[in-house]
Amino acid sequence: MFPRVSAILPLRPLSRFPLCSGGSEAAIVLLGAPHGTVRTKNNVQRNFGTNSVNYSKKDEQSAPTHGISKETESQESVKENTKKDLLDIIKGMKIELSTVNVQTTKPSSRRQRKSVEATIGSLQKTLEDAPKKRTKSVSPELEAAASAVADFLRFDKQTTKSELLRQLQQHEEVSKTQKDGERTKISVSNIISDMKVAKSATGRVSTRPVHQIQFDEGTDSLMGQKTDDLKKSLRKNMLKGKRLNIFYLKTVTEEAPKTETAPSLWDVEFAKQLAMVNEQPLQNGFAEMIQWTKEGKLWEFPIDNEAGFDDDGSEFHEHVFLDKHLKDFPKQGPIRHFMELVTCGLSKNPYLSVKQKIEHIEWFRNYFNEKQDILKESGIRLN
Amino acid sequence: RWLRFRCKVCLTLTGQRAGPCGQAPNCRFYSGSATVPKVERANVTGIEEVVIPRKKTWDKVAVLQALASTVNRDTTAAPYAFQDDPYLIPTSSLESRSFLLAKKSGENAAKYIINSHPKYFQKDIAEPHIPCLMPEYFEPQIEDISEAALRERIKLKKVKASVDMFDQLLQAGTTVSLETSNSLLDLLCYYGDKEPSTDNHFQQSEKSEELEEAAEENNEKPKKANHQFGNLWRPENNAERIFALMPEKNSHSYCTMIRGMVKHRALVQALNLYTELLNNKLHADVYTFNALIEATALSAHEKPEDKWNNILELLKQMAAQKVKPNLQTFNTILKCLRRFHAFGKVPALQTFREMKAIGIEPSLATYHYLIQLFYHHENHSKGSSLIIYDIMNELTGRKFSPRDPDDDMFFQSAMRVCSFLRDLELAYQVHGLLNTGDNWKFIGPDHRRNFYYSKFFSLLCLMEQIDVTLKWYKDLIPSVFFPRSQTLIDLLQALDVANRLEVIPQIWKDSKEYGHTFRSDLKEEILMLMARDQHPPELQVAFANCAADIKSTYESQDGRQAAPEWPANSLNSIAVLFLRAGRTQEA
Repeated sequence: MFPRVSAILPLRPLSRFPLCSGGSEAAIVLLGAPHGTVRTKNNVQRNFGTNSVNYSKKDEQSAPTHGISKETESQESVKENTKKDLLDIIKGMKIELSTVNVQTTKPSSRRQRKSVEATIGSLQKTLEDAPKKRTKSVSPELEAAASAVADFLRFDKQTTKSELLRQLQQHEEVSKTQKDGERTKISVSNIISDMKVAKSATGRVSTRPVHQIQFDEGTDSLMGQKTDDLKKSLRKNMLKGKRLNIFYLKTVTEEAPKTETAPSLWDVEFAKQLAMVNEQPLQNGFAEMIQWTKEGKLWEFPIDNEAGFDDDGSEFHEHVFLDKHLKDFPKQGPIRHFMELVTCGLSKNPYLSVKQKIEHIEWFRNYFNEKQDILKESGIRLN
Repeated sequence: RWLRFRCKVCLTLTGQRAGPCGQAPNCRFYSGSATVPKVERANVTGIEEVVIPRKKTWDKVAVLQALASTVNRDTTAAPYAFQDDPYLIPTSSLESRSFLLAKKSGENAAKYIINSHPKYFQKDIAEPHIPCLMPEYFEPQIEDISEAALRERIKLKKVKASVDMFDQLLQAGTTVSLETSNSLLDLLCYYGDKEPSTDNHFQQSEKSEELEEAAEENNEKPKKANHQFGNLWRPENNAERIFALMPEKNSHSYCTMIRGMVKHRALVQALNLYTELLNNKLHADVYTFNALIEATALSAHEKPEDKWNNILELLKQMAAQKVKPNLQTFNTILKCLRRFHAFGKVPALQTFREMKAIGIEPSLATYHYLIQLFYHHENHSKGSSLIIYDIMNELTGRKFSPRDPDDDMFFQSAMRVCSFLRDLELAYQVHGLLNTGDNWKFIGPDHRRNFYYSKFFSLLCLMEQIDVTLKWYKDLIPSVFFPRSQTLIDLLQALDVANRLEVIPQIWKDSKEYGHTFRSDLKEEILMLMARDQHPPELQVAFANCAADIKSTYESQDGRQAAPEWPANSLNSIAVLFLRAGRTQEA
């Protein structure tokens, strides 16, 4: 359903490339960016990891520097080793190319492959022929390698090349100073991780065109340092441009006379659907309490003791001063005493409502009225 | 002392007139002389303006919301919705889903029992009364044949009963009022002449989503799509019959019929009914127009250009009838345009600009449709559009409220695009938008949330420094989502690149917890990474322990399956690791 990462699974059968030794990290790392799959990238990276193992074996015999800074080494073996490494890396590049091209089904890619193969062939020749120079600048082999990489990636060759060369130069300086200082072990892996960091800064700029080996002509010159301008120009495209011109702001904003109708079933159900959009499981206990409060199951904070209790709007004096209901009873005598006790008790009763208290008194009135003959016998007056 | 304070308060509040506590008693009651001059001053000035601020009324949940805002997510704990018991904390996404469903179904079962036997649950001891805990009544109370009975049945959403009641009323000769007939039509059209389903919304929303996507793919085969929709509009069903029987029809009747027809995919009839509406010189409302736009877009056997022209026609009629378009209008247009693929890009942008020009603020669903249109199925033919950057620029820092049912699909598609473009900063932007205000609620249901976070984490593994990735790993897993084995493999490869293979035993332990014990591809990956290189001795020991663990899982798996499946690579790697750690015996 969703284009998951597992969509890359069909590319698994690509065989891993057992031998490929490391060399120019820059090339590898930039190659890691292409739209090819995670799998392919990791193939390359893995190969590099293998190389780091091989390399560390030679640590005791050579100064511990990374593979690129060859001219600072005096050892022949290291130099040859690294030259071999570079060749192998370019071989790896070639294979990398073929896998990338396999995935993108474009006829132009085949042409590309041929051209890159030609470049690689010429590069190998130059490497074998080039004498080893001991200069502070980047060696020509590296320059050739860098330009081959830039050619391959085919976008903004100048910036890529200069970036690569700059990186290489930086590494040379770093390794040189460190070598002059103590013999710290600059493991290849650290360089890789540093490179990785740098890559993500530069890679972001270059990531987008990599997905399209065919590049749009219009934006060719804009890539590189001018991403922001590109974005701004596109923003103009999204927000400014032709519209449908069917509705006009004036007519739309004038309020039609609204007739108040009860919301129909459609509206109610639509509102329910909208409420469901935002439904998520509760995140903490307070959210649960909020939901209960909304449903009416929980008291509202701050707690009001009389929440929900209205008492028919009667005041305290109606509860306490019940004398006015004794108007119909005799003013003196045992009945009066009794009724005053009754009202005293009722005034202290917090559980009855005013109406219920009046009903009590009414009941007594009826009762005494009914029992008049008994009262007459006892001689109590009841007027 | 309280008396003294009260007097002082009295004095200040009743500044104008001499309060009951005059000056002398104050002096008597407190000895501190510092306060006396103040009192005097107050008396001397006499009139004191007291500005009583307006009383603030707080929402009933204000206190709780304030408290809730102080609590952040605990990354080491399971989500709050689960019981905090080791046995009841889920260890995979399947388990978490089933636990939540179990909880919800328990509530539903309890409610069902209370509602089916209301006479046993009448005692109400809650003070004040809690209405939602009392049993509800689902059976109609009014038994006689009258319009009130019909209205009650409509309110209770009993489709068949209301239709029967309506027929009985007609047979009895009483006329049913227009409003009641309209509400009956509403009921029939909304539910398509079937009873409203009683599934809980989990299953419902999933079903409708799957149907929606299946329908998109099967656009060329209308018959198949029709069969997949459960609820079809049968011709001559009750709604049409009642519609024909109604003596007078107003625009509401027509509108609701059209909407019902479109909802249940009787598109041609809907359009015909619309022409009838126009013939009767009635006006349709904005919802009807939305439905009609959907109808024109879904009708098969037409080229996209024709459909687009039809839609424009409808819009022009809408403007002519002075019907205001709303957000749903434009969202429906965009939703239909995304089916047109390449052709739809230019009209979509035009529609978007129109929407903004009129002043209707686009919702997240709008942007979701735009993203789907421009990044459809990750085609690599032409250059990828850069519209996602514009969209994110527009949206950063804004808070949203739900305005369209499809709003919760935005984040998933945005993250899919970020992952496709391999752009980590954009992904951070999207994630930042998710975390502003209440936007996290738009992440959608479980599977969408898992998809979003899987993509995000894979992108992190790919592009970010390993330390930051490991921090995100601790943050997100397992409290937010459970990783699939592919995600863990991505993480392992990232570790490999950064040469931090010592974390592998930890990851193996974690993945055992998440139920990946028997995923052979993950185990192969781990073993291969460990066996590939030489490592310092203590690391070897750890690796060998890990390998022993994996070996034991292979062995226990044998018990389950008939033929043991020990991939050759794993055996290789395990042997190598044991040898290196000096456990030659086990090797």
